[in-house]
Amino acid sequence: MEPHPGGLVTRRRFLGAAAVSAVAAGAGCAKRTEAAGPPGKAAVAILRAPSYRVDLVDRLVRGAALCGLDARGKRVLLKPNLVEFDRSSVIHTQAEVVAASVALFEHLGAREIIIGEGSGHRRDGYFLAEEAGYRQAIPDFDSRFVDLNRDEVAHVAPFPGKGGIYLARTALAADLVVSIARMKTHHWVGATLSMKNLFGVVPGAVYGWPKNHLHQAGIPNCVASLYRTFPRSFAIVDGIVGMEGNGPIQGRARSCGVLVMGADLAAVDATCCRIMGIDPEKIEYLRLVSDQGHVAEPWIEQRGETISQVRSPFELIPQFQHLRLV
Amino acid sequence: MQNCVESRLARLEATQNPDGGWPYFPGKPSWLEPTAYALLALSGRRGPAFERGWRLLRSWQMPCGAWRPCAAVDQAHWSTSLSLTVHWATGIRDAAFQRGIDWLVTSARAEDRMVARLTHWLCPSIVEFDPGLAGWPWETGAPSWVEPTAHALMALRGAARRAKNRDWNGRIAMSERMLLDRRCRDGGWNYGNRRVLGADLPSYPETTALALMALDGHAAVAWGTALDGVERTWHETRSPLARAWLSSCLLLYRGERPQPAERDDRTGNDILVTAIEGIPWNHILAAS
Repeated sequence: MEPHPGGLVTRRRFLGAAAVSAVAAGAGCAKRTEAAGPPGKAAVAILRAPSYRVDLVDRLVRGAALCGLDARGKRVLLKPNLVEFDRSSVIHTQAEVVAASVALFEHLGAREIIIGEGSGHRRDGYFLAEEAGYRQAIPDFDSRFVDLNRDEVAHVAPFPGKGGIYLARTALAADLVVSIARMKTHHWVGATLSMKNLFGVVPGAVYGWPKNHLHQAGIPNCVASLYRTFPRSFAIVDGIVGMEGNGPIQGRARSCGVLVMGADLAAVDATCCRIMGIDPEKIEYLRLVSDQGHVAEPWIEQRGETISQVRSPFELIPQFQHLRLV
Repeated sequence: MQNCVESRLARLEATQNPDGGWPYFPGKPSWLEPTAYALLALSGRRGPAFERGWRLLRSWQMPCGAWRPCAAVDQAHWSTSLSLTVHWATGIRDAAFQRGIDWLVTSARAEDRMVARLTHWLCPSIVEFDPGLAGWPWETGAPSWVEPTAHALMALRGAARRAKNRDWNGRIAMSERMLLDRRCRDGGWNYGNRRVLGADLPSYPETTALALMALDGHAAVAWGTALDGVERTWHETRSPLARAWLSSCLLLYRGERPQPAERDDRTGNDILVTAIEGIPWNHILAAS
């Protein structure tokens, strides 16, 4: 698969951006006419963070600078992964990382910082946030939090399945959607990172718990379509402690000691896969977007640490041994 | 206890939208789900708030007989079951109700398709359940899950008893078996997967309460143990939604809700919780 030169707008990407523009205009927000992503190679920052007790804000500020992130004056949606919570496990994005992300975007001069999630299995989003420690860790959490499962919705088309899809309006109206995922394996698609984390903008109030609509329409296709729907996005992947084996719910904690950041979610996820010892070009949803995002190694510029310095192969279930990076 | 119910009903009246419906959170657009629960809670009063809500609910029925979930979404929705329960609980069994029932009993599920059953038999180790047992899906044509099945079961059983209609007994019985098949090893229910890739999944308190309410005293459940577990979990969990369903389950089977703790102000704006806690489930479902 040949990478396309960064900065060129492909026909599919143009059509995707145009569809989003139509929806955004209907939602009363500014018209979007161009896709995000750096010209040329995609910059992805890898930062060492051996534990959640280190100065995470400092790490994130350095990572944002390495990626050239500009959030001044923007309405930013921070989207952590809170699909479920289990005190004994590492299913969710760690509260310290979400709190540090709030501080990062305050530092960058964002106009508004919203935290939004539409949990995938359990309905009570505020409860999950409390259990996960978000309320304790984040000042003014309640005034920032939007339950995307029960948000206002807007229709987006085309989308895999019949007749498009309804998505949370808060996400569609954001100037920048920041996907804050945990680095995890996934027993259906191999890995769940910043792109798959966008499933949380699909409203449970329309599609239920779990969001089986996306499974019926095909997980890889839906992940790829959500990536196209949110061209103005940024990824922060919490790989300080990830999950290996039977993820995304029942795997085991795996210390990896990194934060991975970047404006091209595909490039960030591809980098995370390489750190995890997974071949990103064998992950179907990454293959589906490789004509728009940067998945192939030559088109990703690693900044900060190199992959080889932090590589930490995750255990894979037998069904996914073929994904192992050779 | 009566004061608690009164405070919830007053809160519902105070948070009703101008269109007559209720939102999930104050000031937001109306959705069918909180509207249906609010109407069940207010059904004993039949005041102006109920009448306005009832008119909105009726206006959201689609030509196919199903209900849409809100004004912005133009598709048949699982919460049709809730609308039907509001109908029979308030004594309405007109043509609109019948069209809704017809949609509910004929709506397709993935388990109806031979290819879906065959696929499951060929790869049984991924998610363990009996694909021959179907309940209701979140969306037409999709696989069955616990929560929509529980609501549809309560709606259809109530309708069947009032209409003295035995034609639906087969589907009711199969749905009960489907729920029992999806029961987790710990004795409760989650969204509907009890075991994936050889690993047991834990139950959730809210779906456990709902499944028990839908099983209507089924002989396969050891009710004393199950309800003791519900009460214990009600004391332990901090989820307002879970506590609302757990207390509703205890109200249905034991005749009263546990004494509620002080409401947490940070979650007190969840209208769904307020409405569920205001519903006299023992009067509505026990009489069904």
